[in-house]
Amino acid sequence: MDARLQVTDSSGRRLVTLDKPVFLIGRRTAADLQLVNADVSREHAEITNDGMRYLLRDRGSRYGTFVNGEQITERPLEHGDRIRLGRTDAIELVFMTDGSSSTHISGLRDIGSDADLRQMAAILNGLRALGSGRVLEEVLTLVLDSALDVTKAERGFIMLARPDGELEFKTARGRGRITLPGTSFTTSAKIPREVFQTGESRIVGDLMEGNLAGMHDGTIAIGIRHVLCVPLNVNPMATEQNIKPHIIGVLYLDGRERTTILSQQTRSSLEAFATQAALAIESARLYAESAEKARIERDLLVAAQIQQALLPTGSFETSFVDLAASSVPCRTVGGDFFDYLDLGARGFGFGLGDVAGKGAPAALLAAAVQSNFIAQAPVSGDPADTLTRVNNALLRRAIEARFATMFHGVVDVDGNLSYCNGGQEPPLVLARNDGISWLEEGGPVLGLLPGATYAFDRVKLEPGDLVVICSDGVTEARNAAGEEFGRERLIEAMAGCHGTKPDSALERLFGAVRKFSQGTPQGDDITGLVLRYRGRPN
Amino acid sequence: MQIDQKMCDITVVHISGDITLNQGGDVLLKDKIQSLLQQGAKKIVLDLGGVAYVDSAGLGQLVQIHATTKNQGGALRLANTTKKLKDLLVVTKLVTVFDSYESEKEAVASFN
Repeated sequence: MDARLQVTDSSGRRLVTLDKPVFLIGRRTAADLQLVNADVSREHAEITNDGMRYLLRDRGSRYGTFVNGEQITERPLEHGDRIRLGRTDAIELVFMTDGSSSTHISGLRDIGSDADLRQMAAILNGLRALGSGRVLEEVLTLVLDSALDVTKAERGFIMLARPDGELEFKTARGRGRITLPGTSFTTSAKIPREVFQTGESRIVGDLMEGNLAGMHDGTIAIGIRHVLCVPLNVNPMATEQNIKPHIIGVLYLDGRERTTILSQQTRSSLEAFATQAALAIESARLYAESAEKARIERDLLVAAQIQQALLPTGSFETSFVDLAASSVPCRTVGGDFFDYLDLGARGFGFGLGDVAGKGAPAALLAAAVQSNFIAQAPVSGDPADTLTRVNNALLRRAIEARFATMFHGVVDVDGNLSYCNGGQEPPLVLARNDGISWLEEGGPVLGLLPGATYAFDRVKLEPGDLVVICSDGVTEARNAAGEEFGRERLIEAMAGCHGTKPDSALERLFGAVRKFSQGTPQGDDITGLVLRYRGRPN
Repeated sequence: MQIDQKMCDITVVHISGDITLNQGGDVLLKDKIQSLLQQGAKKIVLDLGGVAYVDSAGLGQLVQIHATTKNQGGALRLANTTKKLKDLLVVTKLVTVFDSYESEKEAVASFN
């Protein structure tokens, strides 16, 4: 007669064959079964085999040896005996003999089904190991069908906890691999909740017995009397650090007839099975979440393309000005924008803005500000009027504490630049011989203050003069030492650029920022616009 | 971000750390001022001496709580604003929106 120990501990469940006359169990490495637990003595117990029977003997362990809950010094083992070492429940040993004629009165033991469940557990384990992209529903169905096949229960349910901690039916299957219709079912409400809260399995042999009947009227009415409910316990291996141990729900099986549902053996197999199932479910759930995340990332990429499309081309020229502009978001989408348009007799209008915040919310607001600007500029009398209108338009759609800064200028054929600066980092005018001036006149940031007043100023541009506008992502770009790029470096970068083409001046500026930051990740979008006055056309 | 406060006729709120979107300082600040207003505070001094950095979201929130306080019949004054924040207020032309004082003492005295 061959015998085995079914060992369940923190490293999982396994079968160990008792293949020696004296089989030593203990904490020391030389033990035939080494178990690492504070309650296990170095040489805790031994199982001897005299050819007739297996005898378990305590080796003077510190915390004692127990069989089916009873402390022993020496005891012959029978198939199905549960051995506990010390006080701990962390390790469970079940003694099993092959081909033993079951002597148990219940007659409900079913080693075959136990093996089936173990096999299923292995399959689920494999599924998980593959990092399978199987959808959650598929995994749930697979779990329930296997559980039903083995237990011969009639109905199976998986209830998963919602974020608020209430259990909700996820999948319901009946024998014969059918999905039970509906979304709510007559089951005990109390048993799943208790199992979920305590993490302890429950077998209810007969709902009619004891005091249970009153609480389960609905269930009894449809003839269901026997229930087995085990927790879905996520107990990941150390390598799976993204998953934390917790109970995600319960596996609930019931039926009208006494079947293997009621056997202790089924229960403990099902518990092990449920642990694998829980992990597979959790993996599927995480997979679904990461798929959702990937979808959002794809959406963002599309949004980024749309955002780039909303910006006009980065280089443009009229008979008296030419310009170059570029925007590099620090995330997928950004909160900076630039735009320009022909204002007829008034001249050529251009603007650059920066919305507070980052990412998608800022991008949406930036699109709103930009379209407002383009709509208002042609109907305004001057740049200050335009920004007043944009400010009012933004306030009408007040988004609390969100605002935009914006610079707007209009240059005519004679080089008269009128501008208004709405809280934007002041643009620089580069005149002959590196003469520098800043465009500061204007008003406060847009979208915060009702009734804010904006003023405009005029500057005369000479042929070859450059107007350099950048978002604060440029002046506040940081290097590894935490220093800011600042206005001095901006002046330095622009030195000698008077009269040069706008795109080479812009490239010079961005190049200086890149060289300064040396790959230090930037916290803000970087946007720049360089406009050159070319002189009155002949 | 950390918030400490002294309550009497004039409430002095000390803020340290960054007021930024990423660290949720902007929302924290709003909630704090709103709860002070609900408790009936009317005169509030915001001591920003310990604030190293304010981003655009933080700046927006400062303007917002300033307006909220005013709308509820109160007044919010700033004390100990750092050079960096002053520069930011100048660039964004929000400097005229706030009553700023060099020290907490001056800010408190300004209410009397």
